[in-house]
Amino acid sequence: MPEPLLDVADLTVDYLTDAADVRAVDRVSFTVGPGEFLGIVGESGCGKSTLLFGVAQLLSPPGEVTGGQVVFRGQDMVRLGREELRHIRWRDYSVVMQSAMNALNPMKSIGAQFKDTLEAHGSMSAGEIRQRSVEVLKLVGIDAAHLKSYPHQLSGGMRQRAMIAMALLYTPQLVIMDEPTSALDVVAQRSLMSKIKDLQRDLGFAIIFVTHDMSVVSRYSDRVLVMYAGQIAEAARTDAMFERPLHPYSRGLLNAFPSVRGPRRELVGIPGAPPDLARPPSGCRFAPRCSEVMPACLTRAPELFAVGDAEVRCLLYAEDVKKAV
Amino acid sequence: MTTDASASEISVSDGTSTVEVKRPPGRFLRVVLRNRKATAGAVILLVMVFVAAFPGLIAPYDPQATRFPPNLLPSSAHLLGTTQIGQDVLSQLIWSTRLTLVVTLVVSVIATFLSMIVGVTAAYAGGITDRVLTLVIDVFLILPVLPLLILLAAYLPPGVSSLIIVLCITSWAFQARQLRSQGLSIRNRDFLVAARVRGERPLYIILVEIVPTMTSLLAASFLGLAVYVVGFAASLQFLGLGNSGELMWGTMLYNAQQAAALEAGNPWWALAPGAAVALLGAGFALLNYAFDEIGNPALRPVKRRRRARASA
Amino acid sequence: MAEARDSNGSTVGSNEPLLRTVDLTRHFRLGGMLEAKQVLHAVDDFNFVIQEREIVALVGESGSGKSTVARLLARVYPPTRGEIYYRGRPLHRLRSRRALFWYRGEVAMVFQDPFSAFNPVHRISHGVMRNLILHRPELSRVERQHEAERVCESVGLGPQMLTRFPYEMSGGERQRIGFAQALAVRPKLILADEPVSMLDVSIRAGVLNMMAGLRDREGVSILYITHDIASARYVADRIIVMYAGHQVEAGPTETVLADPKHPYTQLLLSAVGDPREKVESISADTGEPPRVINPDEGCRFRWRCPRAIEQCAQVTPLLSPLGSVQVACHVAAAGSQDSSTPASTASITKS
Repeated sequence: MPEPLLDVADLTVDYLTDAADVRAVDRVSFTVGPGEFLGIVGESGCGKSTLLFGVAQLLSPPGEVTGGQVVFRGQDMVRLGREELRHIRWRDYSVVMQSAMNALNPMKSIGAQFKDTLEAHGSMSAGEIRQRSVEVLKLVGIDAAHLKSYPHQLSGGMRQRAMIAMALLYTPQLVIMDEPTSALDVVAQRSLMSKIKDLQRDLGFAIIFVTHDMSVVSRYSDRVLVMYAGQIAEAARTDAMFERPLHPYSRGLLNAFPSVRGPRRELVGIPGAPPDLARPPSGCRFAPRCSEVMPACLTRAPELFAVGDAEVRCLLYAEDVKKAV
Repeated sequence: MTTDASASEISVSDGTSTVEVKRPPGRFLRVVLRNRKATAGAVILLVMVFVAAFPGLIAPYDPQATRFPPNLLPSSAHLLGTTQIGQDVLSQLIWSTRLTLVVTLVVSVIATFLSMIVGVTAAYAGGITDRVLTLVIDVFLILPVLPLLILLAAYLPPGVSSLIIVLCITSWAFQARQLRSQGLSIRNRDFLVAARVRGERPLYIILVEIVPTMTSLLAASFLGLAVYVVGFAASLQFLGLGNSGELMWGTMLYNAQQAAALEAGNPWWALAPGAAVALLGAGFALLNYAFDEIGNPALRPVKRRRRARASA
Repeated sequence: MAEARDSNGSTVGSNEPLLRTVDLTRHFRLGGMLEAKQVLHAVDDFNFVIQEREIVALVGESGSGKSTVARLLARVYPPTRGEIYYRGRPLHRLRSRRALFWYRGEVAMVFQDPFSAFNPVHRISHGVMRNLILHRPELSRVERQHEAERVCESVGLGPQMLTRFPYEMSGGERQRIGFAQALAVRPKLILADEPVSMLDVSIRAGVLNMMAGLRDREGVSILYITHDIASARYVADRIIVMYAGHQVEAGPTETVLADPKHPYTQLLLSAVGDPREKVESISADTGEPPRVINPDEGCRFRWRCPRAIEQCAQVTPLLSPLGSVQVACHVAAAGSQDSSTPASTASITKS
């Protein structure tokens, strides 16, 4: 088996605040292979964005990594200093944020921001900068004339594409994306996802894609992690997961999706709310909302159990197979 | 956040989890105690208030009494010396605290109130009203203060009332712009649209829905204004626009200057009130740091706790 | 159910709908006084009716004008042109404060963002109580308290929620309270502006089911404004699709979803994600926003439409009946034999 590009082991992220200490990410482990598309799915408060920030080394106080490793191409990024991180940032991995309007400088043209990025992480001549800028815009389907445009002059969809273009300036091996499509309407969303997938196929980079919208990852990702209350609830290959979700939470999420096509089913949600992570419950964190809860669930916190290719954090699978390592 | 058992039976409580937030009043106190600058400021102000409230307890003599030998240098009997007409400087200083503080607070309250009403009304009403009010604010901002004062000094009787009037006129406009900006930023928040849609009157919306959301900003405005007022009041009195008979630090400065205290060899008569003015101003300014922190969470201190790292 | 004119002078007979709009239009002027005149056509010629005890979904993407319609109906601002008739009474004739106030007690609004819909310094009971005090003055203090608790329960929340502050409640709870607030005035119509868009998917079902329950139990009509056509399916009796300020298609929900006639409706339906499906539909359409500034005559969808004909650039299509639905499309009107299967014909297959 080839060496994974990214190996996250027991990553733990805490927010140490005056009001409470909150463990937003609790011993999360996963790997990403070269060229793989990993989707991380979860609802508000599950810790997926914190996880992503923790992996990309973008956390700022009061959040900090308090345990685990993030090994990227053989180096533990958690232990790297700022200078060393700067060397690999953008060249080997880059980040696309949720809202382009928050990430792009409204006072500078797109071309100027590309230039800033290129200069910050490498050295190129002015001609090379221009050429590369045009190239990446072309990759995402934006006319090169827009190098002169300012962010507010572009539509939402185009801004997100510009963000992705910026992330690809140095053709990194890993692109981390935090809900890049959630601010877009559904047609623009589909178009952007399709473009992302095409780019991935052509350029071969791996993607970690964080989202609350399961339908986006169901069509495009190779593997999926479902997060709940700071932990991984289920990790599986995408087609297997959507065919037959193992964890009651994944099943509930899938059932909560209204469908436009096919017969009109009853719309069922998941009652209750996620636990307060400042005071996590003993036992399974999903138990209060679970339709298949057993008495043991209230006292015993399940580990991740291996079920074939997948891993599930649910006592329903405790007797089946030996525990995952 | 888990709901009570009784609620969960009837209710389908759902949604995102939230972290409990301490109620605002308690939070302010915690911030003041934790932030060293704010604590220092609070202490200074509390001392000042105490001195203003009970001057008789601290001052050694009657401040008006002129029975002492004039122009004495500091000694054990007169820690700050005496004035030209034989009054104890220290007693004067202590007794002046009351009026100085009262004037400062009265002006700050009136000016803050004015700037709030004008600023928020301008923001909420929009349109012509906004333009007119903004023009008014701008006019008051660019008023040349000194010429205006000289003009007013010719017509107004010297004394505390005139001082208050003049200070209010010249200081309310500063914060009005800022409060207007704040008002503009929340003007289209859904809860205000909701208030309009349910048919609330505009005055109600301004006073009950908008202003209460600005308490931190108003408090910070108030304190910032107080710093300005303290200094400016003293300056005006020093220039002779006050009534030298009234007991305030500014008038002490005026009297000291008239008597050429520095040259005459008793500098403390001038330095002491000056230092007091600076100290009071500093007290307000330091306390204001608490609001910086409340308003901007990024300034909050981060707990420096080293957790034992879980083994990889 | 036919009534004579009631004390407010309105009629709700079996023929008169609860609310009816005629050519409702709203334009916004952009730019300052010295710049070239730029007019944003947010809504143009919006004609629709809503009956009692009915949920109508108004579906559209950004720039479609759906939120503007809601605000026009809530009288947040007046229309540029056109009329609104509520229970037969024309709203533009309501001049007195009392009359306007009466309307506000009949039509209530629920907002999209549970985080900004409540004043953070007041308890949640504030909005409910103000609504009761303003619009149901006949109630005594004790009765008001009971009524507040009753509306809380009708949205599935315990009465102790009233004493909480907004930051102590979850998004879903806040949205429910938003409905409770609206119910406090005993409205006939609730304008719900994207009430579930900012909630997690697992929470939406509960709120949507609650809305359907309100129609059934409290007899309230709801105008459900959303960009999510899939959720509309589960809650709405009728659906209206908007694009660029115009209505493009309207009809019974299942009919429109099963057999969409307008190319935009087809595009929208094909783009909606469903995690249970394997098939990936593709389209060249990148979802660019519509042109609503100083638009000229003609269909506003024509630049993106794969079936546009010459007439589309010359004449603005009007909503007209086509079978059991209404469509604003020259091509659809011309040949209903052309109409597509539910899968998108606005798609092109990629090699």
